[in-house]
Amino acid sequence: MHALEDVSFAMRPGEVVGVVGESGSGKSTLALSLLRLLPPGGQVVRGAVELDARDLLALEERELERIRGAEVSLIWQEPGIALNPVMRVRDQVGEIIRAHHSWNQQRCTDEANATLALVFPSDTARIGAAYPHQLSGGQRQRVLIAQALSCHPKLIVADEPTASLDAVIQAEILELLRDLKQRLNLSLIVITHNPGILVGLADRVLVMYAGRVVEEGPAARVYSASLHPYTRGLLRAVPHPAAEGGAGQRARLQAIEGNPPDLGRLPAGCAFEPRCPDRMAACAEREPAEVSPDAVSKVRCFKYGG
Amino acid sequence: MRQRTKLVLVVAVLLSIHAVVLLAGFFAPYDVEAQHRDLPFAPPMRVRFVDSNGNPHLRPFVYPWSAREGGFGEYAEDRNHPAELRFLVQGKPYTIVGLFTLRVRLFGAENGARVFLMGTDGFGRDLFSRVIYGGQISLLAGLLATAISLLLGLVLGGIAGYYGSWVDDVLMRGTELFLALPWLYLLLAIRAFLPLQVNPSQAFLLLIVVIGAIGWARPARLLRGVVLSARERDFVRAARGFGASDFYLLRRHVLPQTFGVLLTQAAILVPQYILAEVTLSFLGLGVGEPVPSWGSMLGSLQQYHVLSSYWWMFLPGLALVPYLLGYSALAAILHERVKDVFL
Repeated sequence: MHALEDVSFAMRPGEVVGVVGESGSGKSTLALSLLRLLPPGGQVVRGAVELDARDLLALEERELERIRGAEVSLIWQEPGIALNPVMRVRDQVGEIIRAHHSWNQQRCTDEANATLALVFPSDTARIGAAYPHQLSGGQRQRVLIAQALSCHPKLIVADEPTASLDAVIQAEILELLRDLKQRLNLSLIVITHNPGILVGLADRVLVMYAGRVVEEGPAARVYSASLHPYTRGLLRAVPHPAAEGGAGQRARLQAIEGNPPDLGRLPAGCAFEPRCPDRMAACAEREPAEVSPDAVSKVRCFKYGG
Repeated sequence: MRQRTKLVLVVAVLLSIHAVVLLAGFFAPYDVEAQHRDLPFAPPMRVRFVDSNGNPHLRPFVYPWSAREGGFGEYAEDRNHPAELRFLVQGKPYTIVGLFTLRVRLFGAENGARVFLMGTDGFGRDLFSRVIYGGQISLLAGLLATAISLLLGLVLGGIAGYYGSWVDDVLMRGTELFLALPWLYLLLAIRAFLPLQVNPSQAFLLLIVVIGAIGWARPARLLRGVVLSARERDFVRAARGFGASDFYLLRRHVLPQTFGVLLTQAAILVPQYILAEVTLSFLGLGVGEPVPSWGSMLGSLQQYHVLSSYWWMFLPGLALVPYLLGYSALAAILHERVKDVFL
């Protein structure tokens, strides 16, 4: 079963790419396969992940361990369980720094405190000495962000950074990410099921469906003038993200008809065809190819040539 | 809070039993090998405060045994010579854990009179002293065999659970083989392979190593399961994502999760292994005379006349009771606590 098929994109330093799609569209698989962290049984059959012209997927496990956390790091989802319950927060940031530098204990602790100060401007010392259960969900999520930042990586992948948080905390975390992006010039991949959180954060958006990228383009264009019928359906299903920064128009939310397809039994043609409001005769017969309506966008749909 | 009190109580009882056994020389009035040939199978003496005339005494005292004329092994209290018990008396020198030589003993009778709180065995050796000394062998056997089992179980179970695939298969089939082995017959067979004369300390070590090594299978299976679920926990996967190596993950994030289960297992295994040692020594497979262990002391009950006539020879078995109960209670409490933390 192929959870991802023919997914390809490039990033510039300092760019923030949003990846959006329903559950099961392959977003998390994408994040994990970048660092060859797929659970047992999963593997990358074909393809390459190039970082500064080095293919991460071709590296030895040893070499990859030096890259994980240091050059590419992940902001894990579920802050409740991604932290070791019996270690102090500061040590959990410090152990990453220790793993990638030959510094002494004191220097690692100082560095960990400095990193924690980025996400907790006040109260750094108290939170650093706390155990995960003493922190709130939002605070724990901040710790996970600090972990990812700890070794100044070239690329950070945030897998659903706000999924388990309530709306207010979610907004705070997003504000923090936006702020960090500005200050540290982060290269970030943000994976989410909610297109709304990418507003003001992502420069470019990839829309995924059934393991394929169905649309790619600048965030503003994807939100204001979506090309793919799935993207439009997705945006109608959530409160309008107001890409232009407006208050958001009030419209009735509409669900996309049907369910995401079973990846083991994909239809012969376009995977979205059974649910697509704009389907054509060709859709059920073969898969549309990727086309570029303009220099910065790509879309996989027969409406645009396919 | 109540559970905590219970834990403290049980640990205190166990610690004091261990302390008494460890400091055997202080608590026992006689050496293990000291024989009183004139008093074989003397019954336990009663510690009295009131003499036969009804006069109360300030100090506890005993009536010494005197052999009854014409009858072997029949004794009468010598009421004319009450012997008061003295505490912290100077006795024969003894060593504690082979390090310190001391002379002071907890109690003894005045004027060189003899005191047998649990009676004597067929050689006239004080049973009370031998039970305390015998605990050294039995408890050490239990603790050492447990350590061996858990160490093997942790290493092999950890490897099986962490690496999975064929390593796991091979090791788990191994555990099934060991679980199916009838350990008693295996030990009999091993003993049969060895030369007839083995000195007591070698026999003891061999016994422990064999009991411990055979028992690796059950903890290994348990720990395999714990490691299997521990390595899939999100913070372990997260640590891998931040560049942790296999060894680091095992040491820092996976093995600490097994400590609760390990502790509970230890509390279950120790009494089991003590009973195993007792069984084997009873059958003559453990340490030999003159070194006492609870099992070898009970071994004399194989003789019918001992079994039928001298009830105090059962007392070493009684010594096991608080010990085994203490460990079972500890295991139950630990299990409760571990369950709260890890499930």
